[in-house]
Amino acid sequence: MKKSLSWWLLFTVLMSSMPLLISTRSLRIFIFANFIAIFAMSWDILSGYTGYISFGHPFLIGIAGYTSAILTHQFATPLYISMPIAILLTMVAGSLFFFPALRTRGTYFALVTLAFMEVTYHLVQVVRPDVTGGSRGLTGLPLLVTGAVQNYYVSLFAMLFIGLGLWALARSGLGTVLSAIRMDEDAVKSAGLNTSKFKLFAFTLSALVAGIGGVLYTHYLGSISPRGMFDINFLFTILIAALIGGEHSIVGPILGAYFLTFLLEFSRPYIPGSWRYLCYGMIALIVYMYAPRGLFTIVNAVENRIRGKNLRGEEYDSQTA
Amino acid sequence: MTAKLLELNALTKKFGGIFAVYDLSFHVEEGESLGLIGPNGSGKTTTFNLIMSELKQDEGNIFFKGKEISGYPTHERVKMGISRTYQIPRPFGEMSVTKNIRIGIMPDEILSVMRMHSASKREREIGISVGFKEHHLEAHPNELSMGDLRRLELARTIATNPKLLLLDEVFAGLTAGEITELSELLKQKKKEGLTFIIVSHDLKSLAPLVDRVVVVSFGQRIAEGSFEHVVADEKVKEAYLGK
Amino acid sequence: MSGIIIQGFLISGLYALVAVGFTMIFSVGRVLNLAYGIYIMLGGYAYYTLAQVLEFSKAISLLGAIVVGVLFGVLTYFGIVKRLLNNPIAVEISTLILAVVMQAVVILIYSPAPRAIWPIVPGISRIHNVIISWNIFFAMITSWVVLGALLIFIRKTQVGRAILAVSMDTKGALLSGIDPERINILTWALSGALGALAGVFFATYTQLEPSMWVSPLITAVAVVIIGGIGSIVGSLVAAHIVGFMETITTTVIAPELRGVFTLLLIIIILVILPKGLLGQEET
Repeated sequence: MKKSLSWWLLFTVLMSSMPLLISTRSLRIFIFANFIAIFAMSWDILSGYTGYISFGHPFLIGIAGYTSAILTHQFATPLYISMPIAILLTMVAGSLFFFPALRTRGTYFALVTLAFMEVTYHLVQVVRPDVTGGSRGLTGLPLLVTGAVQNYYVSLFAMLFIGLGLWALARSGLGTVLSAIRMDEDAVKSAGLNTSKFKLFAFTLSALVAGIGGVLYTHYLGSISPRGMFDINFLFTILIAALIGGEHSIVGPILGAYFLTFLLEFSRPYIPGSWRYLCYGMIALIVYMYAPRGLFTIVNAVENRIRGKNLRGEEYDSQTA
Repeated sequence: MTAKLLELNALTKKFGGIFAVYDLSFHVEEGESLGLIGPNGSGKTTTFNLIMSELKQDEGNIFFKGKEISGYPTHERVKMGISRTYQIPRPFGEMSVTKNIRIGIMPDEILSVMRMHSASKREREIGISVGFKEHHLEAHPNELSMGDLRRLELARTIATNPKLLLLDEVFAGLTAGEITELSELLKQKKKEGLTFIIVSHDLKSLAPLVDRVVVVSFGQRIAEGSFEHVVADEKVKEAYLGK
Repeated sequence: MSGIIIQGFLISGLYALVAVGFTMIFSVGRVLNLAYGIYIMLGGYAYYTLAQVLEFSKAISLLGAIVVGVLFGVLTYFGIVKRLLNNPIAVEISTLILAVVMQAVVILIYSPAPRAIWPIVPGISRIHNVIISWNIFFAMITSWVVLGALLIFIRKTQVGRAILAVSMDTKGALLSGIDPERINILTWALSGALGALAGVFFATYTQLEPSMWVSPLITAVAVVIIGGIGSIVGSLVAAHIVGFMETITTTVIAPELRGVFTLLLIIIILVILPKGLLGQEET
């Protein structure tokens, strides 16, 4: 535990000093990475842990973003009111639509959530476009803070706060139950636990984080559009970040988000636009199929080796036959 | 007169056109150890599934401690005090023995569960009480023998504090030595007051453990009584050997 | 009113075709194949390339599209599903990634702009003041024929019954001497073929674009959830429920709300009848 906390501290200190070390342009890349990390963690606490793969996180993020955007843009609501309302609405709307699917088998869940994202994409453009901004979306939204450095710190501390919180929860008995649900849900029921209750909790938590990320992201960009929110590519980015980083670890998604963001950025000059998703997709597919535990486990394994422990973290000499 | 802990009344379950269980009635008394035997496919596991609400019966009632439990989902029945092991063990593959047991110990409350973030004394105690050696407690299921896996199943069910334990083919795949160890363990638990229903094809190993036996064939009860009585019954012999 | 009935039948026929290929994989392989939408997309693009770019005859183009579907179905099986046998979650995710990759490939080759496919059977006619496009009519007839043939195949031929057996009880099927590997390959090939065929018609009904794989996939899911897994008849019934629901919504309420009521229906079914209308109980 102490070792882990010191890693968090180190990370916090390192990241906090970034604005002194890098340019504003690079800072914006870090901001994007922080937000993807928040979204990826939100996905992980639900899908990574329980195994109920959600393809609907863009739906949750988008609901949060649009609610706050509409309230501030059309109804002149101050941010400190619109943002909590948006987050609350995300949690409620999500529970209403996703929970019935959570109650049944995991395989339906993925597609029902995908369906919601698709339908909302069309709905938002077509129903009351005067309010939602139609296919163009809304621009000129109030910003939470201005300036790259300020936004960096907001995104960083949101990410760290969420990360620490989720990580602590995942390490507790809650993470154990959720992981057990992933491994064999019926066996968990046979152990006397109401899996629906735990799934709902994980889902609500996930929606809460997605909502927070959604409102912060929207009021950083100052704009929102259907293509930006309810989009397969957005889903893809979040998913790959979580998967490459390492599922059901919370920390993995943070690593994955950074890795993916930098990959995207540094390959930008070399790979023309239309090839990008193809390449990322192929890399993601290969990585996922051959190293499905993601970067985090690899990093962990390397670290253990260096410290003279075996791959699972146990000391060599304490092992008995 | 001891109380009836579990009572099945006219239980019926159909799959497609076939009755897996038909008009099945029997009971188990508190502290008793009941054997449930019958040829392959006679509905024994289905009966367990029905008792645990993993399947829903088409007709009939299930009473536990005198109360009709048919509307309750699996986890509620476990909380009432019924627990089961599976024919093919279902451990949580990525977790150690103690963590597996921990899940059995966990109460059905989110806040309490959150507090259980590290190993507890109780999970080690239970692990050792079913026969695990110290150094095996952190082993993972893929490193365990069949005997140990069955031990793990047993440990996880005991962790839920059951009054009634349903054991499904608990001797299958074990060596003679493992069977002896497991039998001793079950005898010990019986002395502590646990009630059992044991399903087993291994009649020899079953005999010393049970007070009474119910025989099913094609989902119906065909005999009931002491082990010796039932084994001598003509109908039972026919069912096993075929007409 | 008669317009709704006619339109409803037409759409439902198409939806049934779309859904059946999907439900086959689900009931036989018990895995979620998100790449199914890709068979639809590839079928559409293949037909377009063959018929309108290379100017082959329609029949050959249709056949070509089906071949592409079969190839891709089998490829998905060998490339992904077989490698990730014990991990349904991994299959879900991998097929999604594959879908995104294929979408990117199509964008690369064909550009993201939507294209129109000329109807397979051109022309429209009026019946009782209702306009019917022959193309959709042809699609519906084809669907019924194909589904009828499929039903006969499943129930009467040995291979078909083997598929049915594997879908109900894999272990039992193994004991009867059925080779699950052959069945799997066949099922995925069939699924690919059905998807590609549906894709051609779907593309003529809407339009050809790289993101066209999502919408029919969702329709297929809706049909499977409502009709229940493993039931071809259930899929037929559910396809008509979904088809009529959408037609009524589009005509009577508002075209934009087309998908919304279907989604609501999915949710309601999931809450009340999780096994769908005719689904099989999982043993």
